[in-house]
Amino acid sequence: MSAEHGRHNAPPDPRLEKQHAPEQTQILEERVQKLEALLVAKGLVATETLEELASTYENDIGPMNGARVVARAWTDPAYKQRLLTNATAAIGELGISGLQGEHMVVVENTPSVHNVVLCTLCSCYPWPVLGLPPTWYKMAPYRSRAVIDPRGVLHEFGVDLPESVEVRVWDSSAEIRYMVLPERPQGTAHMSEQELAKLVTRDTMIGVARVEVKG
Amino acid sequence: MTRQTNPEIAEMVSPASLPRRSGELVFHDPWERKVFAMAVTLCEQGLFEWDEFRERLMAEIATAEHAAGPHALTSVLPSYYESWLAAFEQLLREKGIVPAT
Repeated sequence: MSAEHGRHNAPPDPRLEKQHAPEQTQILEERVQKLEALLVAKGLVATETLEELASTYENDIGPMNGARVVARAWTDPAYKQRLLTNATAAIGELGISGLQGEHMVVVENTPSVHNVVLCTLCSCYPWPVLGLPPTWYKMAPYRSRAVIDPRGVLHEFGVDLPESVEVRVWDSSAEIRYMVLPERPQGTAHMSEQELAKLVTRDTMIGVARVEVKG
Repeated sequence: MTRQTNPEIAEMVSPASLPRRSGELVFHDPWERKVFAMAVTLCEQGLFEWDEFRERLMAEIATAEHAAGPHALTSVLPSYYESWLAAFEQLLREKGIVPAT
């Protein structure tokens, strides 16, 4: 990773460096295994659900912030206005930190416009709001093809848009990070802001998926 | 999303805050994921309140920092998940879930 790309990432945290020598790791590994065996024997823990749980936290923590922003915009028209005019400030209003030095722009999907976000240069991405970018976001095929053939890429993601819908592609940079405000799905009028936030996935805020209500 | 994250856990503040890079959790070794998930699942099952665990975690982190001392530049601090493991073991003993050996 070049220095140029390095500054697009999170500030350093000493806790992120691996601290243990292999023999120490071995001791800790065994300590945890012992504990796990004990808890499994008591029927308190199932090994397969532990992995599932860890992945849930790994995958959902980041996007949750973005989902809160979207749900607020869907339920509070004044907030939505502020979000579309000054996204950095509006996102900050919800207590989401880590946006220093990043200028956020939120683009709204409507029945006639569909927005897609990418970064052609590297992998600029609004990490405090959406977590870590998915692997495909950083891959050349997405970065280049989404510019040339956004409809084709969307089709591969399972989003088929009628010809009448205009597709707008936004190229994130170190200075401007884009996020999509997806359309609120039909049949959600009765839902609370919290319930709505649960519908919003990472991909909908990149623009490669639509928000769906699970039946 | 079939499962939900608990904001009490996800949004803990420093020094107990979960180590993250680019917004996502950072685990170095499989045992770290495991001990993280074990504490979360036992809390989900109502065996303890998250605050009870968090207090012990913060105490362990404070002890670790104190033990290293301001001049111990070369000593390696117990890692975040090492403190997590110690706090979890302590709480399980207190709750009588594992024997106090």
